[in-house]
Amino acid sequence: MLSKTMAPPKMMDSRYAPKVDVHCADLPGMVSQSVVELFPSIKPGYLQKEGIAQIRKFTEKTLADIDMTKIKPGDSVNILSAEHGYYLLGGEHYCEMIKTIKDVVRERTGCTNIRLRVAGGMHTKEADEIIKHFNLRAAFDGKVAGTHAFDKGVPIETEIGTLYGLAKVYDADWIIHASHDEQRDLYFYRMIDRVLKAFVMSFARYEVRSLFHCNFGSRSANFIQRSIFNSPFVQKKFAFGCFLRMTPAGITGVDADNDLDRLGRKISVDLMRDYGKVLRLFSEIDECVVVIDGSRWAHYLHAGGVVFGCFENSIYDAYDLSNHAAFGYYDLLSKIASGDEESMDQIMLAHPAIKAAVVNQSMPGIPWSDIAITRPTFVANASQAESLRKDPANASFMDMAEETGTLAEAVERACEAAGTDKVIAFDDSFGYITCSPSMAELLQKLAPEVSRKVDTEYLPKWLRQRGIDPKQI
Amino acid sequence: MKVVNYLSQVDKDKCIGCRLCETICPTGAISMFEKKAVVDENLCRACSKCEDVCPNDAVILVERSEPLMVSADVDTVDEAAIDEICAKADLFPEQMICACTMTPVKEAAAAILNGARTPEDISVMTGVRTGCGIYCMGAIQRLLNANGIELKPPANNRWYKQCLSMWDIPDDLAKSNPGYFIEEDQKIYRSKTKGGGQRDVK
Repeated sequence: MLSKTMAPPKMMDSRYAPKVDVHCADLPGMVSQSVVELFPSIKPGYLQKEGIAQIRKFTEKTLADIDMTKIKPGDSVNILSAEHGYYLLGGEHYCEMIKTIKDVVRERTGCTNIRLRVAGGMHTKEADEIIKHFNLRAAFDGKVAGTHAFDKGVPIETEIGTLYGLAKVYDADWIIHASHDEQRDLYFYRMIDRVLKAFVMSFARYEVRSLFHCNFGSRSANFIQRSIFNSPFVQKKFAFGCFLRMTPAGITGVDADNDLDRLGRKISVDLMRDYGKVLRLFSEIDECVVVIDGSRWAHYLHAGGVVFGCFENSIYDAYDLSNHAAFGYYDLLSKIASGDEESMDQIMLAHPAIKAAVVNQSMPGIPWSDIAITRPTFVANASQAESLRKDPANASFMDMAEETGTLAEAVERACEAAGTDKVIAFDDSFGYITCSPSMAELLQKLAPEVSRKVDTEYLPKWLRQRGIDPKQI
Repeated sequence: MKVVNYLSQVDKDKCIGCRLCETICPTGAISMFEKKAVVDENLCRACSKCEDVCPNDAVILVERSEPLMVSADVDTVDEAAIDEICAKADLFPEQMICACTMTPVKEAAAAILNGARTPEDISVMTGVRTGCGIYCMGAIQRLLNANGIELKPPANNRWYKQCLSMWDIPDDLAKSNPGYFIEEDQKIYRSKTKGGGQRDVK
């Protein structure tokens, strides 16, 4: 059953995101395909802004079981947050969890020096925008600081050498890892130490982020965040982790643990079971036009809770640890150039079903020109085109892409070029997939068999590869 | 090759002399003169980091009168020497070192053969690290370090020495942490390295 088209989540405005008035969901003929209707086993959750009060209750409940005795009244505590959480379904739920953590820690420990740290993604002013938009300075009595990948570093001695974290992240006696379990860029971390990834990506200097992406394979790279987290420097400060829980169908709760590895195992199982179905479903799409529909970087925009980067790379099973393929930075050209036929099928090439692309809104700063190079690509408005022209990470994007006057025109042109009317929009939606009726029909047709295969074939394999007995799930 | 269409420009009336732009600039194009930032047009590769970091919006990108083509010409240097430089760092000459500029490793190696001795030199000569500014730094440092070029981080925090790669993980750690597939990745990536690398596979 198709729903009336759902509006995508309302995101905060950003100096980095071009202004856009019309989204794909506004176009005549688009529909919203419910994720839960495709996969009834996926737990539905909160969407948009509902359920905020419930998040406080969830957080208070899970924190009741957390040992906070190490935190003394005169200590300093940093609650560590990162930009991605503030964009999940508008960010209010993540904010509420963080504010509740502060209130509970203060009440339980008597500690008053509880500070918030907000780590940005690619740009230096992201954190300031977030702090202002969510009025976090007031919520934390002014004890808030933003940080970014180029900010001053602090050396962390690990068993693999000195690695640099961000000084503002670690400038307290204790740190609380306040995060979420949205799957994000699975193709980079392969569901290995998902709960630790922020230690190499959000809380580390840019050089360390680079080591993760370029100096390791996609499996071995995860040893970097493991080494940082296990270091005496971090272990001495680590108090507990608290995660907003999500399925592709929305926000379902909050989980906390003093033992981050225990929490990580639980989260990994849930992610593979739920996101695995949507991802395998996407891998079976035969042809489509993708619409990059805002409001952040293309690779991190959701459709049915799965980011475009995962969709783009979904022909290859990133959960399967027997598959060594890494994202293209490291591996792609070397394999092509070496003519290594045997491993060509493990190169992470973009999903061949993507026949054309439309860009309605995307932040600059992360390279993704490969789409414009390899597919007919239409940019739907002048402000987005101008942003791409000035984007140093995609300097040649507009040499290949064509600017159109409106989103409707761009979608029409893309469908003509692609020879299909199957359209899927990555507009940051959870719970629903904004798409054309023909795409919804295809998803409905494919979903039952995908669900069966994930339950009986894929998931048991993924679990066994991680040392988890499927019978215990 | 990177085609540089823009150029950073400082509004001296707005510049407060905080030096954040000087620190973040990947090519060292910005210096201070009479407590104001000054951009060297020959070195600017329009990464926009200065524009982004400026707390007073004193830096903007303006269109260059003529686009600037930036590349280290691999045809003017010895191919065998390029292969040797890449192999020492376990990097394949054809693989991308920078996804933003789509620059192959061999171009960065050519820059070294042409005299590059710092990450800033390589950025100026090839345009790498003037896109997102983040993801290629580890490989750039690895290329320099593996070829015996001492990495001396600037006094500011523009960059820290970080050139760890999977081949630097001690054997005992690789073996005792099988869930990270370190040994497997070492073998797989090494086998794709033209020339086989200079170090033994663990």
